[in-house]
Amino acid sequence: VLLDRPDLEAFCLASGWELKPEGLCRDEVCVPLPDGADLHAVSKRMGMPLVHDAVAGLWAIGPPAGPHALSSAMAPDLVLPDLDGKPFGLRDLRGNKVLLLAWASW
Amino acid sequence: VWQAIRDELQPRGFELVTVALDTAGADAARPWIERANPRHPSLIDRAHVLDELFGIVNVPSGAWIDEQGVIVRPPETAYPRRPAFLDREIKPEDPPHVAERVRLVKQLRIDADTYVTALREWVVSNRHALPRSEVIRRSVPRSLDAATAAAHFELAQHLVRAGSFDAAVPHFRAAHRLQPDNWTYKRQAWSLVDPTQGPTEHFDGDWLSDVRKTGAENYYPALQF
Repeated sequence: VLLDRPDLEAFCLASGWELKPEGLCRDEVCVPLPDGADLHAVSKRMGMPLVHDAVAGLWAIGPPAGPHALSSAMAPDLVLPDLDGKPFGLRDLRGNKVLLLAWASW
Repeated sequence: VWQAIRDELQPRGFELVTVALDTAGADAARPWIERANPRHPSLIDRAHVLDELFGIVNVPSGAWIDEQGVIVRPPETAYPRRPAFLDREIKPEDPPHVAERVRLVKQLRIDADTYVTALREWVVSNRHALPRSEVIRRSVPRSLDAATAAAHFELAQHLVRAGSFDAAVPHFRAAHRLQPDNWTYKRQAWSLVDPTQGPTEHFDGDWLSDVRKTGAENYYPALQF
């Protein structure tokens, strides 16, 4: 997730996490936070590393660390464009068996 | 080739979704897609979101998702048939680096027959679907270093798209250093400078040197069906 300022509000806006009285929440999951936690504290608490590029004035926050890339077997709600830019959601294929095949031109 | 397999299995409740991982965007993938003229969803992932969401570290990789939206096999090497490059012979006129590449490529673990047979068996009789805990366990490890690599890679890609390749290089290099077995991060970056992924002044590694170092047999993990 890319941020143009290292604050919690920007992170929530870009990532879909929501700041609630019980902590930082998304879907059914809430991670309690210490009072006055800033983005650095959240990054540490969630194991989501924060990387900065001073020249570009940008921050990137990585995915939660381990143990594995998948923390659930539920397929994420992936929405990506086709060649014409028309978005397609993986969810539209519920009821089918799907082979999701990643390839590259390089 | 995938199109034929998809058409064969589609009446059984199967669909293929192809995703091009390409920082250079739709135009890089367009010639391949237009030639294939797919009848299945064929998507463009300019920001490599799939890498992060599913744990993809090389291509081609396929993940299986069942009727309920549950991943039943995490990404694994997915070739639809034996690729022609496995049968390319070394020619007398090949320069040494080409000859070595041909030799190394032959040692890659690519078992298209096993993969496609298993895919058919899954679609027809539900074989080879893994329990949820095994799907998670078989997905690639994500250490703090690997998660940090993902953040650097995201910054690098953004900077490339913004037209600042030089500013992206340190972030690509950090991603390569932090997660050296992520071939997607390497090949994507190398190919932005040199389509053959040879040595350049920008990066420490290149396809030939890195595969030589890692061992061609470790480039794609063995399939476990």
